[in-house]
Amino acid sequence: MTNQTKVAVLETDAITTKEETPFQIVLRRFRKHKMAMFSLGLIIVVFTISLFAPLIAPFQVDELFVGKYFVPWGTVDSESGRVHYMGTDNIGRDYFSRLVYAGRISLSVALLSVFISSLIGIAVGAYAGYYGGLVDTLVMRFVEFLLTIPDLPLLLIISSMLISNPEAIPIPQPVLTVAGKIMLLSPFQARQAVLIIIVLAGLGWLGIAQLMRGTILSLREQTFVEASRSLGASDAHIIFRHMIPNAMAPIIVAASLGMAGYVVAEAALSFLGFGIQDPTPTWGNMLSATQQFMLDRPYLPLVPGLPIFICALAFNYVGDGLRDALDPRLKM
Amino acid sequence: MTGYLIRRFFQMIVVVLISAAASYAILNLAPGGPTAGLRQATQSSRFRITQEDIQRIRAYFELDLYLPYRFTRWLIGWPTGPIMIGGQELFANTPIGCRKPVEGTFVDDKGNYTTRVIGCDEYVYFSSLEGRRASRGVLFGDFGNSWRLNRDRPVTDLILSRLPKTLQLGGLSILFALLLGIPLGIYSAIHQYSRFDYIFTTLAFLGSSMPTFFFGIMMILLFSVLPRVSDLPIPYLPPGSAEAVRDYVIPFFTTEITIKAGSLTDRILHLILPVSVLTIISVAGWSRYIRSSMLEVLRQDYVRTARAKGLIERVVIFKHTLRNALIPFATIVVFTLPGIFGGAIITETIFSWPGMGRLYFLALGDYDYPVAMAILFITAVLTVTATLIRDILYTILDPRIRYK
Repeated sequence: MTNQTKVAVLETDAITTKEETPFQIVLRRFRKHKMAMFSLGLIIVVFTISLFAPLIAPFQVDELFVGKYFVPWGTVDSESGRVHYMGTDNIGRDYFSRLVYAGRISLSVALLSVFISSLIGIAVGAYAGYYGGLVDTLVMRFVEFLLTIPDLPLLLIISSMLISNPEAIPIPQPVLTVAGKIMLLSPFQARQAVLIIIVLAGLGWLGIAQLMRGTILSLREQTFVEASRSLGASDAHIIFRHMIPNAMAPIIVAASLGMAGYVVAEAALSFLGFGIQDPTPTWGNMLSATQQFMLDRPYLPLVPGLPIFICALAFNYVGDGLRDALDPRLKM
Repeated sequence: MTGYLIRRFFQMIVVVLISAAASYAILNLAPGGPTAGLRQATQSSRFRITQEDIQRIRAYFELDLYLPYRFTRWLIGWPTGPIMIGGQELFANTPIGCRKPVEGTFVDDKGNYTTRVIGCDEYVYFSSLEGRRASRGVLFGDFGNSWRLNRDRPVTDLILSRLPKTLQLGGLSILFALLLGIPLGIYSAIHQYSRFDYIFTTLAFLGSSMPTFFFGIMMILLFSVLPRVSDLPIPYLPPGSAEAVRDYVIPFFTTEITIKAGSLTDRILHLILPVSVLTIISVAGWSRYIRSSMLEVLRQDYVRTARAKGLIERVVIFKHTLRNALIPFATIVVFTLPGIFGGAIITETIFSWPGMGRLYFLALGDYDYPVAMAILFITAVLTVTATLIRDILYTILDPRIRYK
């Protein structure tokens, strides 16, 4: 009886400040970064617009209005009463609708690439870091070499191969259907986007794997891992329950910065003509198309260009804020 | 150190061979390629392509040889004819390729038709390679002939004609980026949390998030389009190519001056836009890097010791801090070496700059594989070299590092 009262007294004494979960600590630190908070808001807005693209966009992506080329902003379509908020493009498609759908496609490509590359990177990095040995040496040497080669030539050569031979890699039909549902494309059109995701994630996992391996190597020497091992925990248990959760902080930061990288990389590929091609709108190929009309309409490149820049900037700021919040030692 | 260098040298050779094989495989394993559309062309009555034509075209692209032989011919220029030892021809009956493949069309259970090669009517043997055009091999510096961009001319000529322009662009932009980026980074680090530092870090952040293609287009818009279409007082700069085709007039304060096509002024004017795009993007990244590594070194104990000894601030900054802060930065600069050779693909494409980056872009678009492979291969070799230079540079800059 006496013991219990003692504990109760201790508890009431000990709790002087409100207890915070790790998540709350991170949230509190993240809130301090004003630009990161603002960027997060911006990203939420862009994602919401993309999510409700069919409700927001008044027109279909491929709806042609023959003869109504480059109509001014805010022109009302006389037949249906819908408004061309940003006018039409050179072959009479509604510019605003294309921009909204393009955002959905560009962001989905970036998001899926980040997701897939992180999964591969975590798996490879954790395996190489935990087990070491020949696999570790060979795989990590290979990763190191690929990481030092300038990435754009590699991206271009692989995507140019895949775009000119779309059937070179067999992609199961369900994958195409699901990707098409996410990006609001037909399975046939979705193939191109899926190929770009494969290219981006195929090179993107390298950095994550290196990061993960480094973290796992340092965690392997920690006492809590040793304790777990001495309790008889299996390798799988140690890796999945102890190591990966503890190694997530740098991965989350890298993923956020990776979103910025993938948005720009996809836009660059589409801009150069080795990415997603015209009838499917992306910010990159819309920007590329504005080049030939720049002399008559100097504002035109800004319309698809600014969203790319703003998204890249916002994801970079969020990544910066997350780095400050998750790991203050890494602060730049 | 010598033992280390020898070991590294052999490692380099292995990596170069692997990357050669990989870059060859990427381009040659995929279907399609230079003969895509040939099948359709044979069925069209307009072209009248005979079986001999197809064999000739396939032989031109070496598609009648099996992949391993094609690869060794590309890599080391072997085999080029029958293998003779002591007057006896070895492997005379070993087929190394197929001149006339037999194709069959099959229907699978879903009703899809597929055409596959099922046999061979006429094989290629070692002896039939005699007299065929062959390169001396990539490893010996011969990249073969271009297929499309400059048909039947050596790839080396094509690359050498583009290289000076790329070196001009890359060299100038790296020079300016170093001259601007290092002082900016140092100043910003010394005056951390000052107003300058705040503005600088924000601008550098914006600059390093800026996609090159958007930045390039904005520059063209600002300096080439707007001065032409509006009355705003913005100086006009030519947007593309390395020199003008004909003389042009630009407004200069109140008067107008005529620029002669191909003159020095003309070439300098053409350099300004691409060089400033590349410079600004690099300055943004590099100065941020210098700043953070300066800040890290400034926190070290030996810097405090130096200050405690009563050294003047200039000596502390330049002799004790900067030298150590530049060690990691040196590696970044070394790794721009392969990047320069490959050219700034996006910048060169936007400004139609006749350099390596644009050459690579055009080669990929035109299926000119020998050109694309040559550029990729040289980039890989330069990357491996840059890694070695970095490691050696480390020992020079930081005596604490020793290789065994």
